[in-house]
Amino acid sequence: MAERPVHEHIKDLSNSMVILSDKVLKNFSLAMDALHDCDNLSCAQIKLADGEIDASEVRLEEQCLIFLALQQPVAKDLRVIITILKINNDLERIGDLAVHVVERIPEVNSDFVAQFDFQKMGAIAKEMVQKSIQAFVNRDRELAEEVVEMDEELDAMHRGVFKKVSTGIRSADVNETTQFIVSLSISRYIERIGDHATRIAREVLYMITGAIVRHSEGSFEKLIESLKD
Amino acid sequence: MQITAEKKESTTSVATESSKREIFLPPDRERVREGGTPHVSAKNFSIFYGNFEAVKKVNADILSKYVTAIIGPSGCGKSTFLRGINRMNDLIPSCYTTGTLMCDGEDIYGRYTDEVQLRKKIGMVFQKPNPFPKSIFDNIAYGPRLHGVKDKKTLEELVEKSLRKAALWDEVKDRLERNALGLSGGQQQRLCVARTLAVDPDILLLDEPTSALDPKATAKIEDLIEELRGSYTILIVTHNMQQASRVSDYTMFYYEGDLIEYAPTKQLFTNPKDQVTEDYITGRFS
Repeated sequence: MAERPVHEHIKDLSNSMVILSDKVLKNFSLAMDALHDCDNLSCAQIKLADGEIDASEVRLEEQCLIFLALQQPVAKDLRVIITILKINNDLERIGDLAVHVVERIPEVNSDFVAQFDFQKMGAIAKEMVQKSIQAFVNRDRELAEEVVEMDEELDAMHRGVFKKVSTGIRSADVNETTQFIVSLSISRYIERIGDHATRIAREVLYMITGAIVRHSEGSFEKLIESLKD
Repeated sequence: MQITAEKKESTTSVATESSKREIFLPPDRERVREGGTPHVSAKNFSIFYGNFEAVKKVNADILSKYVTAIIGPSGCGKSTFLRGINRMNDLIPSCYTTGTLMCDGEDIYGRYTDEVQLRKKIGMVFQKPNPFPKSIFDNIAYGPRLHGVKDKKTLEELVEKSLRKAALWDEVKDRLERNALGLSGGQQQRLCVARTLAVDPDILLLDEPTSALDPKATAKIEDLIEELRGSYTILIVTHNMQQASRVSDYTMFYYEGDLIEYAPTKQLFTNPKDQVTEDYITGRFS
């Protein structure tokens, strides 16, 4: 069946979102490289790129709102547009978190940061974002569910950082205390990126199934349980 | 298109299933609390024009006091089904039905069913406003007079009450003796609704009631449906999908005489269960 212009329009909006996700992931990779090398100089470049991401996010949101107002989509079409709107927002937040990471670089030195496995955490977070977007493109329910499960690994690594910081900070001097706190923040930023990827995956599941799977049964209990660790 | 019997079973059970569950309604629809009771029940109900089966073995319960929209492409049987509910199709010589169609436990097509009483209970408003070439007052009083109301004061009260219900009173109260044909299209259509309400029906059948009206008059009719929601069982046939989603609690989708899907409107327009419904409402029909 030939696609109608309205459906071509939905494809264009989807493509714009995928392009935005590429920009966000590229910036996040640069941020992780800068963290690895404690490279302060990259900060300005990453912030500049984030400005472009913000502008793209606003543009895409405007396009989606115009589409909703003029085309009044229903069913699958409605779910796709709503999902794009939500993912768009998550991507923008991921972009902000990448900037937060590089903003903290002046407060730590590379030897200190090396004791934490931030690069592995970053790689997992990046893979989660990539897979969640891929799940959107391919309407792949299993891949989206895989992303949701991957979040636990990232959460566990963040809890590991928390434990290390809470132990280390007790015998630390003033300078080290600051670095421990900053490291915990960096870990938190990366963990939050994983959370956004999980949100994206759940939004994709909504798009595919029509069922909202956030705050599913047992999620509160899981949260309480994780805090006990 | 072939629709299996199994699919029909599953789609028609939607209303029955949902009536058992708690139904969350947006604030403006919270007045509807009585729902869940079948008002009109179709069992293997078919309507034929000669050899042509225009409505095919429909099994569905129309729920009391809810607004049910009927959508589908031209010629799908939606208007035929609607007209079948108050036996308007009887006027077509080749038309006959099989199966049963019950209203409040009585067979609409029963041998002893009084059509006049049936149409008093089940009022209908058509696509084009069709006021009688009489005064506004006489248009409304026509039905009650036919049913034996003679007292002038009673008639005056009935006329005012009906016009108020149809949100037309304020616009016509000073010119009740003027010819109804002098009203605008939107006013004429609301007059037709008032004329239907005057005989105190339980069910209102609206056959594309706004297709001949401009957006402003359409909005007034939709507001009127909102006002009447919860007091009457309303069925509305419409080609305007946005209208169906705006005004109805439940939606029936017909295709080639088959009732393909029947579900709460918010479900049907966000996550339809049937691919044919999905294709139709998203404009993917070839």
